[in-house]
Amino acid sequence: MNFSFFQPIFLIKIITLIVIAFYIIFTFVVFTQIKAMGEIIGIPHASALFKTISVINIVLAISLFLFAIVIL
Amino acid sequence: MTDIFIAPIKNRHKNRHPIEESHMHILSSFSRNPHGLTFQAQKKDESIILFLRPHYLTNLPWVLLGIFLFFFPLIITQILPMLGIDFFSSNIVAHFITTYAVFYYLIVFSYILINFLTWFYNIFIVTADRIIDIRYSDIVIHNVSETNLHHIEDVRYSQSGVIPTLFNYGNLYAQTAGTTENFEARSIPKPKEATDVIASLIGDE
Repeated sequence: MNFSFFQPIFLIKIITLIVIAFYIIFTFVVFTQIKAMGEIIGIPHASALFKTISVINIVLAISLFLFAIVIL
Repeated sequence: MTDIFIAPIKNRHKNRHPIEESHMHILSSFSRNPHGLTFQAQKKDESIILFLRPHYLTNLPWVLLGIFLFFFPLIITQILPMLGIDFFSSNIVAHFITTYAVFYYLIVFSYILINFLTWFYNIFIVTADRIIDIRYSDIVIHNVSETNLHHIEDVRYSQSGVIPTLFNYGNLYAQTAGTTENFEARSIPKPKEATDVIASLIGDE
C-alpha cells in the first residue's frame, strides 16, 4: 500500500496549493472591487490602470498555482 | 396682489465656485474645480467644486512597511548564515523556496496595492448641490454617502499634532440636520480652505 499521501512533504504541497487558491480568489475580489469603484468614481486614467494591474495580479497568481502544481 | 419686484432666480448649477481652477492629476489629494472627474449619479449640470482625499503623508506607515517587507527576505538570507544557521541547504526548503518566494512577493504586492487603493478611493467631493463621501476599506467594503448642502448646519475643521500642523492637513466635519449622518473627511490637505469653501456654499444656499 502506498502511503505517500501521508508524507509531510505531500501535506505541505496540498496546503500550499490551497493557500494559493485562496489567494487567486482574493485577486478576483480585488479586480471586482476596482471595477465597482471605477463605476462609482471616474478619475481620468485610473480605472484602466488599476484594472490592468489587477489583471496582472490574477495572471501571476494563476501562474504561481500552475507552477506550484508542476514543481512541488 | 401684483408683484412689484421679482428677483431673478440664480442658476446655481452654471455658476462654478469663484475660486481658481487647479489641475487635477491622478494622485491629487486637493483639487478645486477639477477637470475630467465624474461620479455615479452626477447630474448633467452638476459641477464638482472640491475634490479631497487624505494627505500623501498618511501613506507613510504602509509605504515604510512595504519597503521593509520587500527587503525582509534579503535581510534574512544575510543574517541566518551569520548566526550559523544553514536553513536554505535543507532539502525540503530547497524544494519549496521558489514557490514561497514568489508567493511572498505577490502578497507584499497585494498589501501595497490594497493600501494604495484604500487611500486612492477614500474621496470627499463637494459639488454646487451636495457633498459626497466615498469610503473604501479592507478591499471588500465601500460606502457612499451623500447629503444636500442645505442639510448641513455646521462645518468645521480640526488640526491636532505637530505633523498635521507642519504639513497643513487635518479633519473636516460637516454636521447635518436631524438624524442624518454627519460627514467627516479625515486627514485632508488644507482643511481651513476646504471648510471655507463649504461654508461659503452653505451661505449661498
